[in-house]
Amino acid sequence: MDEEYDIIVLGTGLTECVLSGLMSVGGRKVLHMDRNKYYGGESASLTPLDEVYKLYKMGDKAPEHLGRGRDWNVDLIPKFIMARGKLVKLLIHTGVTRYLEFKSIEGSYVYKGQKDAIYKVPSDEKEALSTSLMGIFEKRRFRNLVVFIHGFDKNDPRTWKELDPQKTTTKEMFEKFGVDANTQDIAGHALALYRNEDYKNASMVEFIERVKLYFESLTFFRDSKSPYLYPLYGLGELPQGFARLSAIYGGTYMLDKEGCNIVYDDDGKVIGVESGGEVAKCKQVICDPSYAADKTKKTGQVIRALCILNHPVANTKDALSTQIIIPQNQVNRRHDIYVSVVSYTHQIASKGFYLAICSTTVETDNPEKELEPAIRLLGSIEQKFITIKDMYEPVENSEKSGVFISKSYDATSHFETTCDDVLDIYAKVMGEPFDFKKDERLEQQQQQDEM
Amino acid sequence: MSQEYCLVASGLQYDTLNNNYRQKNGRRLTMATGAPTYKIILCGEYGVGKSSLFRRFMNDTFSMEKGKKSTIGLDQASQSFQVGGEEVKLTLWDTGGMERMSFIGQSYYRGANAALLCYSINNKETFSILSQYILDIVMNAEGAKIFLCGNFADCEAEDRVNDADIENFTRECGNVLSGSYQVSCKDGTSVKDMFADMARVLHRENAKKMTLRKDLVIQPGVTPEDDDIHKKKCCTSS
Repeated sequence: MDEEYDIIVLGTGLTECVLSGLMSVGGRKVLHMDRNKYYGGESASLTPLDEVYKLYKMGDKAPEHLGRGRDWNVDLIPKFIMARGKLVKLLIHTGVTRYLEFKSIEGSYVYKGQKDAIYKVPSDEKEALSTSLMGIFEKRRFRNLVVFIHGFDKNDPRTWKELDPQKTTTKEMFEKFGVDANTQDIAGHALALYRNEDYKNASMVEFIERVKLYFESLTFFRDSKSPYLYPLYGLGELPQGFARLSAIYGGTYMLDKEGCNIVYDDDGKVIGVESGGEVAKCKQVICDPSYAADKTKKTGQVIRALCILNHPVANTKDALSTQIIIPQNQVNRRHDIYVSVVSYTHQIASKGFYLAICSTTVETDNPEKELEPAIRLLGSIEQKFITIKDMYEPVENSEKSGVFISKSYDATSHFETTCDDVLDIYAKVMGEPFDFKKDERLEQQQQQDEM
Repeated sequence: MSQEYCLVASGLQYDTLNNNYRQKNGRRLTMATGAPTYKIILCGEYGVGKSSLFRRFMNDTFSMEKGKKSTIGLDQASQSFQVGGEEVKLTLWDTGGMERMSFIGQSYYRGANAALLCYSINNKETFSILSQYILDIVMNAEGAKIFLCGNFADCEAEDRVNDADIENFTRECGNVLSGSYQVSCKDGTSVKDMFADMARVLHRENAKKMTLRKDLVIQPGVTPEDDDIHKKKCCTSS
């Protein structure tokens, strides 16, 4: 404990564990501590099921009809992995894939308010032609838009269709293709995965890149019907995988540590972290917002409802895993509602059970009511657990003290924003951006040297 | 073609049998491709020579260097063994030193076919604490076979773990042990034989299970199409 480290990482959430792993691999001497006696913090998967009942103060024991408690690994935040997204790049780059197994999510659905029903987001041309999501003429217009997006290259004016990438907003692009409001909702919220309407007035380039990521993820593996992957045994496997990476590159792990108070010198620069009366010295600290409350500000709230079901969600072809997006316009809101469903086939529930998590950004004084459109889709619910969490981010210039604070996990349905946060903190701590290609180049160099 | 490239580049493979994506040589036994592979995890106190065993297994070397440096960046190694004329692969997992200050994490135990419980023959404490490890293994790696391995067989000490201790321990844990060995990582004594024996025990056990399961296998084509069931359900529910 009384040793000196380059970096002390506090909290073992996914963001902290990825950073800890990258820092250790990069040759930094890392100490990684957590107040809890388990890995994962907010991004842990709780097991056995009793732990979930304890956490939500609903007694010490889960009811017996829910099967064996140890078969459960219950996520607290609902997220999927984009098959071609940044997290997969990080997993592959670091080799952490060797600790994990994935299943692809069986389908992505979108809610249409007018019909009060969910529709499968087409995953290939065949589904696109047969979908009842839009009328015949609208399908044609939508197809033209998709063809344009596929062909678009921001460096090749011939692919621009006279839309200047620098100047054109997404809204103007929609207008050019004449797609209606429903199609815009599907494209913006179910394909580009925007959470609100701000994107319409932003450049179309980002929109196009997001839709491309969606389609690339969709076609990454054969026969996949959605762009998402999910790790067996729950999301909690992810931070553990990166923690292992950190450990085998020399990182030291300490769980169940009391205190974990950051210690500063007179100029407000970090000098170490105190736990149980001892201070471990360090030059820099990386932590989640709960370890540096004085340097964070609240940015809003997210509500999540964990629902245990004993049946698949209706109208999803009995899928064992799905994502349902309820675009904000469809239910007169400002933020989308997400539902993610996984089940016993992902080793997160006992046989025959499903876990559906509904989540959204809180807009009113009655957040539970805000989730109603999502809860309604689920049918009968065995047990419901509600959490309302404050979201935090670091106040400006907090990193001047040598303390780098991650953001809370937001309401998005995937890890792309989490990875942005990781890469952002990495660049600040290391003084240079993370280079995905670096190892490859080193290897090539070595091979050439050998020849 | 391009898809195959993606899969190889990512190191992730589609396992048609279990409908999963996993790393090549992934941690779970795959029957569809290549030799059967068994995952073995090393368990036991810090300093009993787990990483030394790992090094012996990986490339038959030994290092006196203490601490983590000797296995940096490595925590998995595979070797092939011949069992009754068949090729069997063992993948050994090292702890990465995480047990020194904290819990190792459930993910280490997932899908393990066996756990090799290590202790130092010269240090009774490292032996008597093993019942706790057994509990962890039973909780987190269901169905894993448990083997016992005493290291430092080359060293002389006054208060060694003796046969009576091992017998008592075996009885106390209700005969859950599938094997007990004594090795020296320093001079390499018995290390190879131990892993060969483990391969034999694990493969025999698996072969037993497979023959049992064969009677239950439903032939492809005989099962009713899932779609029909879906259609029926849709009609009744809407």
